[in-house]
Amino acid sequence: MPRRPTSSRPHPPPPLPTTTGSPTDFLKGVVGKRVVVRLTSGVDYRGVLSCLDGYMNIALEQTEEHVNGAVTNRYGDAFIRGNNVLYISAAEPL
Amino acid sequence: MDSASSGIQEPFDLIRLSLSERVFVKLRGDRELSGVLHAYDGHMNLILSDVEETIVIVDHAEGAPEGQGTVNIAKRKMEMLFVRGDGVILVSPPSRT
Repeated sequence: MPRRPTSSRPHPPPPLPTTTGSPTDFLKGVVGKRVVVRLTSGVDYRGVLSCLDGYMNIALEQTEEHVNGAVTNRYGDAFIRGNNVLYISAAEPL
Repeated sequence: MDSASSGIQEPFDLIRLSLSERVFVKLRGDRELSGVLHAYDGHMNLILSDVEETIVIVDHAEGAPEGQGTVNIAKRKMEMLFVRGDGVILVSPPSRT
């Protein structure tokens, strides 16, 4: 019969971070902030997030397109079709 | 709410404000379009006129190091074009000033 270790009291879960919230809360929080949007192709778009919708279609302002770390294009406004999005990263403190 | 200044509540507003304007469209397969936007729908199917398509073709030479292929650019023009939405990566309107 397998013996359990004597000190097998499970550790309490680590304290939750002070800023909890759903992914939607995060997205609401970054609207109007500078973000990095990475597409599945690996291309990054850095700009100010104007808005986004349920498909994760994104409107960006002051957008820079980065490929392998180099700026390859600039757009005043850009609409990114949501299916191409890998992640949205906050580029400034929330 | 800072989106009020630009009058954009949802991403499609950006496209709606670009109707009848020349837009830049980035497509899958290293293709880019520039054309006048006549219509769009929720799939981002687009109708463009007076279109120039730019195709980037990278030829990887034998034994060449990564990213050292020769880049060829092909262009062609079309009077009227229907773009299927699933090929669209990015649409950029003319700068609003």
